[in-house]
Amino acid sequence: MKLELGYIDINNIEFSSESKVENGTLYVNQDAITKMILEDENIKSVKLDIAHPGDSVRITPVKDVIQPRVKVEGPGGIFPGVISKVDTVGSGKTNALRGCAVVTAGKIVGFQEGIIDMTGPGAQYTPFSKLHNLVVVCEPVDGLLQHDYERSVRMAGLKTATYLGELGKAITPDETKVFETPSLKEGMKLYPDLPRVVYVQMLQSQGLLHDTYVYGVDAKRTLSTMIYPTELMDGAIISGNCVSACDKNTTYHHLNNPVVQDMFAQHGKTLNFVGVIITNENVYLADKQRSSDWTAKLCELLGVDGAIVSQEGFGNPDTDLIMNCKKIEGKGVKTVIITDEYAGQNGKSQSLADADPAATAVVTGGNANQVIVLPKLDKVIGTLDYVDKIAGGHEGSLAADGTITAELQVITGATNELGFNCLSAR
Amino acid sequence: MVKEIERAGIPVVHICTVTPISMTVGANRIVPAIAIPHPLGNPALTPEEEKVLRRKIVEKALTALTTEVDKQTIFE
Repeated sequence: MKLELGYIDINNIEFSSESKVENGTLYVNQDAITKMILEDENIKSVKLDIAHPGDSVRITPVKDVIQPRVKVEGPGGIFPGVISKVDTVGSGKTNALRGCAVVTAGKIVGFQEGIIDMTGPGAQYTPFSKLHNLVVVCEPVDGLLQHDYERSVRMAGLKTATYLGELGKAITPDETKVFETPSLKEGMKLYPDLPRVVYVQMLQSQGLLHDTYVYGVDAKRTLSTMIYPTELMDGAIISGNCVSACDKNTTYHHLNNPVVQDMFAQHGKTLNFVGVIITNENVYLADKQRSSDWTAKLCELLGVDGAIVSQEGFGNPDTDLIMNCKKIEGKGVKTVIITDEYAGQNGKSQSLADADPAATAVVTGGNANQVIVLPKLDKVIGTLDYVDKIAGGHEGSLAADGTITAELQVITGATNELGFNCLSAR
Repeated sequence: MVKEIERAGIPVVHICTVTPISMTVGANRIVPAIAIPHPLGNPALTPEEEKVLRRKIVEKALTALTTEVDKQTIFE
C-alpha cells in the first residue's frame, strides 16, 4: 500500500468572509463552521477563536487536537467510518495543512483535560504551541449526559478539521513524501539482510470517556489486529479520549505518529518496517490477557525480529504494556517499550505500576508528576474554571494572581508516549 | 498498604482486578475483582444478581484470609 502525503505549509489563520487557503494563510469563514457545528442539537453554542504561536494565550480545557487533511486521490475519505464512509484508506494521495490545527475546548467533559499555553514556560512543554490553532469552544445544551457531550464535541472537531482540510484539495503541496508498505512476501525479498520490525500501538480503550475508535469501531470491542501505517495517516484511528492530557494520543498524534514516521525513515536502511499491530487497553483482566496473547501471537506469525510497543495513558495500562513486552519477548522477539513515568513530584517513586525483567529496553516520555509553574497569560480561550480539578491540578492550583502551579500532567502532549513531545534529558 | 499491614502482623487479602500488579507489589493473598472501574460490582447485572456476586467475592476473601499460604496465592 502506497500513499503520497502532500504537506501544505500554513503560517497564518485569519477569519474571513470566504474560507480558502492562499499563500500559506488559512482563511476561515466563522459562520459556515458555526452553522455546521450547530446542526448537532446537543450543542447550545459555539465560539471560534484563533491562537498563534507566541500569543499570550492559554487554551483550556483542551479535549482534542486535529490536523486538517483531505483525500486528493484514491479510495475512501479522511476519518473513515466516522466522517467519511468506511472504505479502506491509506493509498493514493492525501494533502495535510501543516502548521495548523483544530483544537476543541469548552466546558469540561471529564476530569482529565488539558492546557495549551501559546507562550511562556508552558508552551515549551507542548508541541501544539508551535501551531496556528483554530479553537472550537462548544457549550452543551442543559442536562446533556457526559458521554453524549463527549461525542458531540469529538464530532464538532472532526467536522471542522474535515471542512478545513477540503480547502487544501486543489492546492499544490509545499512538500510531498511517499510512504509504501510492501506485502510480507515482497518485503522479505526486498531487504533480506535487515531485521524485520513491527510497531505495536496500544490504544486507550478503558471506557468511561477513555476511548479510541478504529474505522469508527470502539477499540475496546476489538481484538488485536494489523493495519497499514498509511491508514493512520488518513485518520483511520481517532481519539475520543478524556484521559490525562500529558500522555493521551490526540487525533493529531495518530495522524502524525512519530514512531511510524521514524520507522518509515529507517525502512530499507537499518530495518524492514513490517507494519502496525493495534491492540487495546481494557479494564477486565481477561481482556488484557487475551489482547496481549494475541499481540504476541501476531508477532510470532509475522516472524519479526523486533517490536516497538507504545503505550497510551498510565496506571493499569502499565500492565497491558508489561504483558505485551513479556509475551512478545517470550516469542524470541526483541522488544522496546515507549512509556512515561509517574515517579512522584521528587521523581523517586516507582515509575510504572507494573514491571518485569523482560522490559530491558525502555524509552520514557518524562515524569508527569514534575511540578511546573505557569504564569498568568493575557487571554484565556475556554475557561479557567476547572484548573484545580483536571488531573495534575489540585485545590489551589490556580492562584489569585492567575499563576497556575500544577503537575506536568495538565499540559496536552507533554509526556506523550509516542515520543511526540519536547522533553529531553539534555 | 497491604504490605505495611502485614508487617504489623495482621493477615491481608488484596481484592484487585489486575492481579499481576498485586503479585508485583508483593501481596500474599489475592482475590480477583470484576473490573477496574467497578471492582466489587457489575453495573450490567440487576441489583439482585449484583448482591449475589458481591457476597461471593466477600466470602471468597474471608476464606482466603483464614487459609494458610506458603507463597503468593491467587484465590480464583
